Amino acid sequence: MIRMVARLIRQGVTDLALNPWTQLLTLMGVTLVTFLAGLFLMALLTLDSQLGAVRGETAFQVYWHPGMDMTLVREQWENFRHMPDFAAATTFTPEEALRELGSRLGRSHGGKGELARDFPFLGEGSPLPATALVSFAPVEEDTAAWVSQIEDFLKNLPGVERVIATPLRDELGQAWRKVSRYVLFPSLGFLALILGLLVGNTIRLSLLGKAYEIEILHMVGAYSWYIRLPLVVGGALQGLAGGALALGLLRLLHLRIRDALNFPPLLAEIVFPPLEMCLALVLVPAVTGMLASRLAVRG
Amino acid sequence: MIHVRHLSHSFGPHLVIQNCTFSLGKGDFLFLSGPSGAGKTTLLRLLYAALPSQIGEISVAGVDLRGIRGRAVADLRRQVGVVFQDFKILPLRTVQANIALPLQVRGLVSPHIERRVRAVARALGLESRLGLPCGGLSGGEQQRVAIARAFVVNPKVLLADEPTGNLDPELSFRLMELFKQFQAYGATVIFATHSRELIRRHPSARVMRLEEGAIIHANWPGARVSSAGGEEGIDASPPLSLDGRDEFARSSP
Repeated sequence: MIRMVARLIRQGVTDLALNPWTQLLTLMGVTLVTFLAGLFLMALLTLDSQLGAVRGETAFQVYWHPGMDMTLVREQWENFRHMPDFAAATTFTPEEALRELGSRLGRSHGGKGELARDFPFLGEGSPLPATALVSFAPVEEDTAAWVSQIEDFLKNLPGVERVIATPLRDELGQAWRKVSRYVLFPSLGFLALILGLLVGNTIRLSLLGKAYEIEILHMVGAYSWYIRLPLVVGGALQGLAGGALALGLLRLLHLRIRDALNFPPLLAEIVFPPLEMCLALVLVPAVTGMLASRLAVRG
Repeated sequence: MIHVRHLSHSFGPHLVIQNCTFSLGKGDFLFLSGPSGAGKTTLLRLLYAALPSQIGEISVAGVDLRGIRGRAVADLRRQVGVVFQDFKILPLRTVQANIALPLQVRGLVSPHIERRVRAVARALGLESRLGLPCGGLSGGEQQRVAIARAFVVNPKVLLADEPTGNLDPELSFRLMELFKQFQAYGATVIFATHSRELIRRHPSARVMRLEEGAIIHANWPGARVSSAGGEEGIDASPPLSLDGRDEFARSSP
């Protein structure tokens, strides 16, 4: 029995060579469909990552007391970068803040010098405090508690006068992430379904040429499992090979276009599917190939 | 071995087998004759469960074919060798692979398969062709491959649908001898043919003639000439003439 099963599995592999053109066209079909599914998946993942990264940040505006020792402040700025969930920090020394203010007042190139001409007392030095806009991308579910914890931490830093959190931005971020989750997972399921249907149908159609052989096997007394096994093995191999080829093509394409959207203001890096999704891209065609072969025999 | 009772079959409104009743025992040889469209192939298909039986009773090798499905059909076909009118061979596979097919599905080991295939191929003059793909063979050779595939399993029942249709007369007669040998070993053979010459050369064989799906002539008491209607009609049918072959011979050119 084991020997017979082994022979049938071997036959499933060797039979692929009997109709090379049909098999090649089927393989191309499976590869193309899986590749397109992979492209769509990459687009979805990139969109999801952008929604999570841009909208999911929580920002804190931190103000120090005017006249604080900037060495200490700079140390604190550096420490922000090592905090968990840190996303970005925009910092202003008092002089930079004044320059920025000047440019906002319409003297984009004059800076402190021209401002000082209008307001002589500014020539003595900037009266503005050091400030920083620190953004985090938290993963915690209880964001309110997390925001409060970070806010307290920032307020207790030496020299910090005031901290303003941006809850609206955070709530918006959470909402976007929820939407993203609601959209992403059904989309992935739908994608898997479409991939399965198209790959399954392609393999099923390729087996039409086997209908005659199946009929003969039935006529000489073969049991159904005997007929199905080589076809199921062949279908699984077709799906597996198509999926693997598509994944290879997808990887090559990703290497070429990874930074195609990585320019201001998008600054979006195209995301390659993670390992489990790569496995799904190979396994879904393989499993549907098996199922389609089984259904084809029944048909 | 084969029991058919009041068997009728229709394709849509068209009745193709009409109230057929006959029995064949172990080692019987039956010539099934009749013009094209008489129902010979349909009757054979009913006997190997390629068509579901609709009306009447039918049993082959002890298996009741009414409502038979799935694995039971496969088990039946393991006892029945069939030679198809259109050969039904796999053109891309070799002669060896085609003949070995019924042995492989039974799970036999390779040395035994090779021995059996070689023996049957030798008997049918195909030994030198064993390694060739069937698609490249002549019609006559393909027909012999189909016959070899039916012979190779030593079936209890051998059904042959026009098995000599593509062969020259001399080869036809030689093949007939092989069929007769199978009969001698105890196989029940049904041989559908148009060839009156073949039938004339085997006067001891049973002969049944079909027309429009009905048995219009049979030369042994196990068969009844079909009549329209049911059981009563059958019972009222005239007794069969045992020397019906003479009538058959008279109608032949």
